[in-house]
Amino acid sequence: MVQSPTEDAIVIQDVVKNFRKKTIRGEYTTFKSELVRWLRGQRHASQQGRFIESLRGVNLRIPKGQTVAILGRNGSGKSTLLKLITGIYSPTSGSIQVNGRISALLDLGAGFHPDFSGRENILINGIILGMSRAEVRAKMDAIIAFSELGEFIDEPVRTYSSGMYMRLAFSVATHVDPDILIIDEILAVGDEHFSKKSLAKMTEFKRLGKTIVLVTHDMSTVERWCDQAAWLDGGRIRRVGTPAEIAAEYRQAVSLAEARSTVFTPPALTEGGGALPSLPEGVVVRDEPPASPPVAVSRVWLSGPRGEELGLVTTETRAEVCIDYVARESVEDVEFVLTLSTADGVVLYVTSTRTDRVALPAPLPPQGRLRFVLPRLGLLGGSYVLSVELKTGNNANPEPGREARCTFSVSTEHDDRGVFRPEHSWVVEEAPAAPVQAVSVSKHAAAS
Amino acid sequence: MIRNFRELYSYRGLLLSLVQRELKARYRGSVLGFFWTFLNPTLHMLVYALLFGVFMKNQIPHYAYFMFVGLLPWIWFSTSVSAGASAISDRRDLMTKVRFPAQVLPATVVATNFCNFIFSLPLMVVLGLIFGVVPTWHMVLFPVVVLIQMCFTFAVVYAVSAFNVTFRDLQHIVMNLMTLWFFMTPVLYKLSTIPEEYRRVLQVLNPMSILITSYQAIFYEHRLPDAVPLVSLLGVSIVLLWGATQIFESRREEFAESI
Repeated sequence: MVQSPTEDAIVIQDVVKNFRKKTIRGEYTTFKSELVRWLRGQRHASQQGRFIESLRGVNLRIPKGQTVAILGRNGSGKSTLLKLITGIYSPTSGSIQVNGRISALLDLGAGFHPDFSGRENILINGIILGMSRAEVRAKMDAIIAFSELGEFIDEPVRTYSSGMYMRLAFSVATHVDPDILIIDEILAVGDEHFSKKSLAKMTEFKRLGKTIVLVTHDMSTVERWCDQAAWLDGGRIRRVGTPAEIAAEYRQAVSLAEARSTVFTPPALTEGGGALPSLPEGVVVRDEPPASPPVAVSRVWLSGPRGEELGLVTTETRAEVCIDYVARESVEDVEFVLTLSTADGVVLYVTSTRTDRVALPAPLPPQGRLRFVLPRLGLLGGSYVLSVELKTGNNANPEPGREARCTFSVSTEHDDRGVFRPEHSWVVEEAPAAPVQAVSVSKHAAAS
Repeated sequence: MIRNFRELYSYRGLLLSLVQRELKARYRGSVLGFFWTFLNPTLHMLVYALLFGVFMKNQIPHYAYFMFVGLLPWIWFSTSVSAGASAISDRRDLMTKVRFPAQVLPATVVATNFCNFIFSLPLMVVLGLIFGVVPTWHMVLFPVVVLIQMCFTFAVVYAVSAFNVTFRDLQHIVMNLMTLWFFMTPVLYKLSTIPEEYRRVLQVLNPMSILITSYQAIFYEHRLPDAVPLVSLLGVSIVLLWGATQIFESRREEFAESI
């Protein structure tokens, strides 16, 4: 399936970005050095080696409505790429086409003035970020409410704690209402409560079909949040694929480089880009997920007793995970792998239809639903992620693009800690010996 | 140039907010607050009045008022240029972190100082009334002179702010140049007091002297300013402005990288 250009939010073609080096043999560009060079007739001589090659030909298409992560080691050109997309820099060569209103969260609180109150700074910051005065005024209350600053909003910003400052800045930035949101490493803002709120805001952005471009080093964020990942290495796009795939390969390449004790040099200054070593053959390399896989999980969701979708459940609830799938071709030997993990990526439980010996119809009907029933959820309060992957045939690797996930929260009244709450009760007795004996007796009985 | 100003117009909300903020920020935290807008030029004037009016026994009648007429537009021009030099190079936070229309920054400086100039005009009128000088109908030409000065100031500030991004020495050069320029401009003295042979040179080479003498003609001498130098200055200012915006536009893409 070839996508027409209008379906792409951002099209980057052959973008090269060079920066001029600021120092020449330790000399700063001063009047004297300029004059001396000019007198020597070297004004335009020795251009070679005077440039820092940050991007060496980047091609990337970011489809509308997708959340795309850009990965890469420090100095691989990620931030430069974001600044090019945003329009802060202009490319040395190549073209960047952006369709839609763009808002960049490259740095929070651009143009904040310390002596002004939060309210006054919202106005100026909002306008700097591209809103009109009327728009900012209309959204003022929503921004203040989201920032949770309360009465502090009329205090000068210099009196704020750094967390309050970031919260205010983040609130303004997310209320710009862009078509394309560019985020550079700032999702972790404020305390746990606020970062949950900002993640919820991001989910809302996704739901509204906005395009998000994200730079981060946090692989669990990438795997959880993004539809696609692009790996920028040595000033070029090295791979584009599903987040899980790219993250795994990226980790592998980094550990391979460490194992070979490669010296990590600034990529932009290194001949050839200083890319990480390429992985040995045999690793699945696919540039794009197949356009339409034969079988796909279309939706994973948590169903309530009357078949409604649940986002919030309690520890004691009966829970049903519904897995809707679509089979475009008749496929046999399919395995559904269900993974339950915490919001920060810790895997709690993995099972599959093969492990549990579930008899699936072969071949699969064109569409259907599997239900994974938990009579009692048993999880403690927090956010959790359910993901379902598909495996076909004897291929041990999960196929890219065939994964679906959902997040849900659990609320609990109990004060206990940990991850799950097993069914239990406490028994208080006078003499401690009796129950132990009773157990050992029953064990003997069972053995004999 | 047209494109530049059309863009500037489309960012008027931003410009307005920035000007408002600059005006408020300047005296925020001080006890007298906004009164400093009036107090600053007054104190400035008193120093010169003491020096030239009392100690050096200047012969110009109503000397304090005469000087104030020239001093106010001069302050508008000189503070615009010296603050404008670093208008872009000091705002790394805006230039490198958000997509920001660079031409708004020097425009903000000119506009902010223009507001200060306008706010201190009543002060000038009051000072004139104290000396018994009543404004006459010649004032109708005042906006024209202001417009020409605006053109000229914009041209200088655009050029200076654009060059200062890559050549930081400029802001120091400009600071010192402004002192020289001040004494080369007939603010503290009458143009007629300098020898004939220098007078023409000063008039041709120093656009500010044309502007300042025009203000003095309107408010102090109560006559129409000389048309020929003023009209030719308007032409020169427009050409300069065109050149400056051209320079500014061509360098604009480098700003974010060079800061």
